[in-house]
Amino acid sequence: MAEPGKQPREAWGSKLGVILAVAGSAIGLGNFLRFPVKAAQNGGGAFMIPYFISFLLLGLPLMWVEWTIGRFGGGFERSTAPGIFETLWRKNRFIKYFGVIGIFGPSVIYVYYVYIESWLLGYSVFALTGKYAACTDQASMAGFLQAYQGLAQNQHFSSISTAYLFFLITFAVNIVILCVGLRGGIERVCKMGLLVLFAFAVMILIRVLTLGAPNPARPEWNVANGFGFLWNPQWAKLKEAKVWLAAAGQIFFTLSVGFGVILTYASYLRKRDDVALSGLTASTANEFAEVILGGSIVIPAAFAFFGTEGTMEIAKGGAFNLGFVTMPLVLQQVAFGQFFAFAWFFLLFIAGVTSSISLAMPAIVFLQDEFHLDRKTASVLFAVVTFNLCQVVIFFNGQGALDEMDFWGGTFCVVLFAMIEVVLFAWVFGMDKAWNELHSGSDIRIPRVYRFIIKYVTPVFLLLILGSWIVQEGWPTLLLHNIPPEKVPFVIGTRVLLLDLFAVVAFLVWLAWRKRQEKGEIT
Amino acid sequence: MTTAGWAFLVVSWGAILSLTVFCLSKTLRKKS
Repeated sequence: MAEPGKQPREAWGSKLGVILAVAGSAIGLGNFLRFPVKAAQNGGGAFMIPYFISFLLLGLPLMWVEWTIGRFGGGFERSTAPGIFETLWRKNRFIKYFGVIGIFGPSVIYVYYVYIESWLLGYSVFALTGKYAACTDQASMAGFLQAYQGLAQNQHFSSISTAYLFFLITFAVNIVILCVGLRGGIERVCKMGLLVLFAFAVMILIRVLTLGAPNPARPEWNVANGFGFLWNPQWAKLKEAKVWLAAAGQIFFTLSVGFGVILTYASYLRKRDDVALSGLTASTANEFAEVILGGSIVIPAAFAFFGTEGTMEIAKGGAFNLGFVTMPLVLQQVAFGQFFAFAWFFLLFIAGVTSSISLAMPAIVFLQDEFHLDRKTASVLFAVVTFNLCQVVIFFNGQGALDEMDFWGGTFCVVLFAMIEVVLFAWVFGMDKAWNELHSGSDIRIPRVYRFIIKYVTPVFLLLILGSWIVQEGWPTLLLHNIPPEKVPFVIGTRVLLLDLFAVVAFLVWLAWRKRQEKGEIT
Repeated sequence: MTTAGWAFLVVSWGAILSLTVFCLSKTLRKKS
């Protein structure tokens, strides 16, 4: 019988449901925009060598670690990192505070991710209504995006009000799904959402594959050569360390490992549910969406219309440029372009929603688990806090607030959290126990070489990523080296805000444990 | 697209597709 005031624990409706929810969390904007840009910039086909090696040595092991520790913690009715870490290392009084990162990180990412997601909803409506139809080149389409974001004023938008309206709708959609709960909300949305996403992606893929050479004057600008742009190997690039780091980074971020999200999802599994096959299935579904679908849409399509030099310039402009500037221009030039543009932005919007709801889960579930709030109250409380933080991103976007949140929440915390969990799993919990736990109820046997990989190779790989990232980006960003002087006060203000948020989450962890002590649940 | 480019594409797609089919079929079989 549940203790008074404590809500009955939620559960997944089916095994496939939890796999799709994890796949939905992993499949996001990065699969369709970041991957093709990284591959094209870092050696084409040769990039796939470090990419697959990273998948086997970093992505898969971390995926299994998160599924396993999540289910293990769930057995003690703990669903978020502070509680789960404590179940792994009971003697350590401070380990729960390391788990704060697993609530703080995804919440910070949620704040800016949900705003970017709202641009996709806005653009899918603009595609249908022909709002950006007058923009026929890169400069005017970039001007459209800037005015939409409130960074400029032109004939398209005079203020940020349209963007704000789409933000409100997107934010409300997320919170409603979260309020409905695990089975009726998240599981159902991920099942339907991924079906629509794959259907739209396959439709666009077929359209891209049948583009041929759309410019009769430039027959060499064709889809086959577009694939060549992405896949022709540049062997010399393999000697560059940055290419290996880019591949490892892509694998790391695409699988949603290190966010604290997968372990929360896995905590709702039963003790005898499989995690080995489920983790592998979610990972391969993500790879299918990334390499086969994501790799076959934007770059081949851009190449067919802009050729080698044009596509190189576009790839240099980054993932957002590719998604919000180049793709609408490309799709304007194909038959039924309005529909395909709608499908493109809407599929990205769905990918965004299935990811953002997962990012909100650790904070909401923490409030449910530790303070016995019901799902709706916890979701509304989360909504109030993050809605206020979103205002910083929306109104100070041009001042570096979004980049600052991405730096701390979306990069630093993620790599650090992954490092902590793999060390806890393999070294503190112990590899023998960890291996047995991973195989408990398992539908497949994982090759024994993974004992060695999880214990030694993955932590070293993560240390290399963390170290090189600190040297290349972390240190200069921390010291504000690349920030223009006029943006410095805003960046520092954002940092103070993030520090406050971290302190609040740490205080809540302290408070929750004190309550447990008073009840005699822990000594 | 060069022959090496095609080779990379075919091997990568083949590996991912076969792994996806293996995992999904095993998952669905266990589910039923």
